[in-house]
Amino acid sequence: MKPQPKALTILTVLSAVLFLGALGMVFLYAPLEEVMNYVQKIFYFHISNAWVGMLGFIVAAVAGVMYLVKKDMKWDIVELAAVEISLVFFLIAIVSGSIWAKPSWGTYWTWDARLTTAAILEMIYLAYLLLRQGIEDPERRARFSAVYTLIGAVSVPVTFLSIRIWQTIHPAVIGAGSSSGQGSFGMTPEMLTTMFFCLATFSVLFITLLWYRIRLGHLAEQVDQLKFRIMQ
Amino acid sequence: MQKKSNIYRPPSTYLKAIGAIVWKDLASELRSRELISAMLVFALLVILIFNFAIELQPNLRSTITPGVLWVTFAFAGTLGLNRSMAVEKDRGCLDGLLLAPVDRSAIYFGKALSNLAFMLIVAIVVLPIYSVLYNINVFNPGLLLVIFLGSTGYVVVGTLLSSMAVQTRTRDVLLPVLLFPVIVPVLLAAVKASSGFLQNLSMSEIWPWLNILIAYDVIFTAVAYMVFDFVVEE
Amino acid sequence: MIAYAISIKYMVTGYAVIFIVLATYLVSLIVRWQGLKRDLQTYEKLEERQ
Repeated sequence: MKPQPKALTILTVLSAVLFLGALGMVFLYAPLEEVMNYVQKIFYFHISNAWVGMLGFIVAAVAGVMYLVKKDMKWDIVELAAVEISLVFFLIAIVSGSIWAKPSWGTYWTWDARLTTAAILEMIYLAYLLLRQGIEDPERRARFSAVYTLIGAVSVPVTFLSIRIWQTIHPAVIGAGSSSGQGSFGMTPEMLTTMFFCLATFSVLFITLLWYRIRLGHLAEQVDQLKFRIMQ
Repeated sequence: MQKKSNIYRPPSTYLKAIGAIVWKDLASELRSRELISAMLVFALLVILIFNFAIELQPNLRSTITPGVLWVTFAFAGTLGLNRSMAVEKDRGCLDGLLLAPVDRSAIYFGKALSNLAFMLIVAIVVLPIYSVLYNINVFNPGLLLVIFLGSTGYVVVGTLLSSMAVQTRTRDVLLPVLLFPVIVPVLLAAVKASSGFLQNLSMSEIWPWLNILIAYDVIFTAVAYMVFDFVVEE
Repeated sequence: MIAYAISIKYMVTGYAVIFIVLATYLVSLIVRWQGLKRDLQTYEKLEERQ
């Protein structure tokens, strides 16, 4: 296993610094929002996590296509890493969103287009992992995973649009707050700056974690190959 | 990996191959009737369970019916997809088909068509029984169109995923897990369109759903066609 | 306008969840890495003996 590249070490330090910076901005710099005051601060990290979850999904889909075209195992490792990390970040997004939603909309959950699609996306990630678990042969596992990623990637936008159409015809009305909006607060410039900073922080964090996870994948492959050689 | 063959084969060979596969499945099913009977019994049981699970008061029935029907089709469909592929794999038919000098996508289309036929047969039997049990007329040409479009979407993705699932250890359990998250647009649009037809809504309200169904069918047939080779490579 | 006390409670819960899940994942990565490293050493020793 190659020793940790310097770039990765730098990225790790950068991620940690940015993360602390983001926390600082959220709690010290960003002003209190009028209506929702403190609980609104969840939004900065919630959106960032959701963004990273979506980014990871795209990375996984691209890696899937690359594997099918190039047949190089390294793309399979990238794909699995991307799915696993997206699963975690998107889970954080969903749960933090629910916690934000309770005081804001009066309910932990609503079946609007964004949330329903989020839940379905999370299910697709889990199905992906279950699929991988059921296949021993690495080559077949890589092939099937890539195919499923592709199918998932095509279905998610279609799902989102269908539910969206459903909503415009039957708008969901839940309690006092608007559940179809993103939160009807206007963002002051300081809030926007904080938001962008958090997005940048989590993007860097995503790349760092992805890199680590890919290294883990390579190590696992190395161990498997060695094990296979010995068992001969 | 063999993609497209360089030898010129007239299109009729391709269609003949598809026809042969469909015919094989239908003929063997006609003799044994195991697949359809399993699907039918299951579908009727699901409807029976719904009777206890949901209060189907007369005034609610027209709104609940599409949902109940489509849940039934979705679950019974899984049975059919699983069995249909398992038979190929277990009897070694899949390998035989793969050796045949025909583009592999023909296998896919053949299986998909026979799966579709089975689903439609189940629907044709379930609908009148549902009508009788719940005293609601489901013989609506619009509804039949929706059932056709929805089943097509279901089967297009389902056949592809079942060819993958059948090659794993977890097989039967895996197919619903893989299929249902991806099939949501079909279920949503089918239920909405069915509901529209049963409640005699205007076509302008039903069209968006039919469009989604058609778009889904087209998109995923294309995707499955492109990807099927990767699934049956050996 | 929502009460400060309630608002803070939800905010803290939200951030707690974020940290806990992130930390759990980081720890799982580290644990898996160590485990694989150990496996690698074990297999390398086995291979030497062969």
